[in-house]
Amino acid sequence: MTTGASRVLVALRVPVPPARAFAVFTGEIGQWWRPSPLFQFTEARNGRMAFEPGPDGRLTETYDDGTVFEIGRIRTWEPPHRLTFSWRHASFAPDTQTEVHVRFDPVGDETRVTVEHFGWDAIPREHAARHGFPLDAFQLRLAEWWQALLRSLRDGVGS
Amino acid sequence: MSEPLALDRTLAALADPQRRHTIELLTVRPRRAGELAAALRVAPSVMSRHLRVLRQCGLVTETHPESDARVRIYSLQSAPMAELRTWLDTTEQGWTDQLHAFRDHLERAP
Repeated sequence: MTTGASRVLVALRVPVPPARAFAVFTGEIGQWWRPSPLFQFTEARNGRMAFEPGPDGRLTETYDDGTVFEIGRIRTWEPPHRLTFSWRHASFAPDTQTEVHVRFDPVGDETRVTVEHFGWDAIPREHAARHGFPLDAFQLRLAEWWQALLRSLRDGVGS
Repeated sequence: MSEPLALDRTLAALADPQRRHTIELLTVRPRRAGELAAALRVAPSVMSRHLRVLRQCGLVTETHPESDARVRIYSLQSAPMAELRTWLDTTEQGWTDQLHAFRDHLERAP
């Protein structure tokens, strides 16, 4: 399910064409990913990340003792342009997951890589339906609303 | 990243347009329940249900003025917002670091 109640967007240009960027992003994530406390999937340990390539593949982290944690499943596999996958940490509540969308856009001989990370989903589908607009539009609106609200709080009331 | 349980509740509470409107009104200043009901054009019972949900997830607090214990004043609490902001900031920083690591890797072996 697409999520969007909260969203993070980060983009960066890399010095290779999209096909190469897509191949390395997915095929060599175990080499380029930097273990970080900001993205710790299971408690107090970091392992090696890997994508199982293809539309039904998984994103996993494997630890020294051989255990595998499934971070998420690939939702969209469209090389060299688009990749989306679900994303959860062991600490997330059951049924809670976030979603990551990655785009690879050509810029001359290079590629602009854009990562959008959508926050956990808490919006019941039937609620969105009741208000007569598509879920995605609803969530986008909610995301915009949050961002505006957070801005105004930061500028005004503070935290 | 912190556990999203509390945030789930916050976001679920905000899935309702009348509750979002309430929050917007409270970002301006604290208000009485009656004032909120009038602004939203809803019955007091509906308003008090909304306020209960918002209170339960910690988005608003209820106080009484010293002069009159019957009056309830609602104001916004920034803790749940701060939690969401922390998630946004942490995730943004995390991906910024990872994309730089990705670029460094490509520069080493294009």
